[in-house]
Amino acid sequence: MVKISEYNVGDVVKDQFEGVTRDLLRAYAKASGDTNPIHTNDVVAERAGLKGIIAHGLFSTGLITKLFEDHLEHGKAGKLIEINIEMRGMVRCGDLIITEATVKKIEGKKVFFKVEQRTITSVDIKDTNGNLVKQFEAGERGYISEKDIERGLVKTKDVPEGILTYRERIATPGTALIELFE
Amino acid sequence: MMDIEEMKKNADFLIKNVKGVDIPGSVKVNIRYKTLVNFAKVYGITDPKYVASEEDGVIACHAFANHFTIKAVYKLLIGFNVIQDGKTRGIMLDPGKLLHTGNIYNWEGCVDVKPGDKLQIVGLCEDAWLNEKNMMLFYKFLIKVKNQNEEPVCNVVITAGVRKGGY
Repeated sequence: MVKISEYNVGDVVKDQFEGVTRDLLRAYAKASGDTNPIHTNDVVAERAGLKGIIAHGLFSTGLITKLFEDHLEHGKAGKLIEINIEMRGMVRCGDLIITEATVKKIEGKKVFFKVEQRTITSVDIKDTNGNLVKQFEAGERGYISEKDIERGLVKTKDVPEGILTYRERIATPGTALIELFE
Repeated sequence: MMDIEEMKKNADFLIKNVKGVDIPGSVKVNIRYKTLVNFAKVYGITDPKYVASEEDGVIACHAFANHFTIKAVYKLLIGFNVIQDGKTRGIMLDPGKLLHTGNIYNWEGCVDVKPGDKLQIVGLCEDAWLNEKNMMLFYKFLIKVKNQNEEPVCNVVITAGVRKGGY
C-alpha cells in the first residue's frame, strides 16, 4: 500500500490510454447522458467545422480520476480530494492519451500534483522515399493545422514501417490533490 | 450575426445581472445501479468496488460525477433567464455556442454515491467576464450536489465560454 513516507517531490504517476474509438464515444455518450452529436456523428461534427467527431472533454477527465483511483488502490491507501483541469485541446479517435501527474508539494498526509494530459495523434507513415505507407484518421480528415506546425507540435520518428508523422500536445493541464491514510 | 457593439452591450448586461446570482431551480437525479456500473465499465474499470453486483454493494467511481453534473447543469442553464429591455432571454442565446473550458471537482468531506441515491443539484453563477480579444463571454458556475440525506456528494466549479453570437 502506498504511504506518505514513500512520496518525494518530482515523483511521477503515469498511465496511458489508446482506446478512443467511435464505439467508445457512443458508449460514453449513453453512459454519461452527454449526447451532443459532435461526439458521435461525423456529419454533424463536420457541419460544426470540426472535421470529424471529438471526444467529450469530460471523458479525458475521467482518465485522470481513474489514474488516482488506481494509484490509491481504490480507496485502500487514501482518497482523491480534488482535480482542477482546463480543457485546451480536442481529443480525437485514434489518439493516444498520456496522463502524467507529478508531485509538487507534500503537506502532512496531503500530496499536491501537477497534472498533464497529452495526446499523440498519428498522421501518417511514409517510407524513406516519401511514399505513403499508411494514413491515419488525422491525415485523412486534416486534423493537423498550420498552427500546430508553426508551434512545433508536429514531429516525426522512425517506426518499423517507415517514418511516422504525429502531433503531440497538451490537451488537459491541471492539478490534483490526494490525501493518504498512512 | 450581431455586431460587436451589440455583443458588448449584451455581455455588459449579462455580467451585471447574473454575476453572484443563484441559478433558479434545482435538478434531481436518481442514481440507478445499471447507470452507475455501465459508466465505470466505459473506462474499463474492473474493481468490484465500482462494478460488483447490486447485492454486494457498489459505489460510483469519481468520474461518475461527470454524469450527474453535466446532465443537471444543462437543465439548470436552460432555465436561467433574465429580462433585458422588457424581454425574457436566456443567459446564452444558442447552446451550440457553449464551450466547456474548465472543471474543478472537489470531494473533501463528501460521501460516496450509491445506487438508489436521489441527488439534488443547485448552482450559482459566481463570476462572468468578457474576453474582448476573441469576444468570448465566460461564466464560472459553482455547483453543489447533495444526496437525499443532505450530505454533500461533490462540489463542482465549471467554467464555460459562450462564443460570439451566442449571447
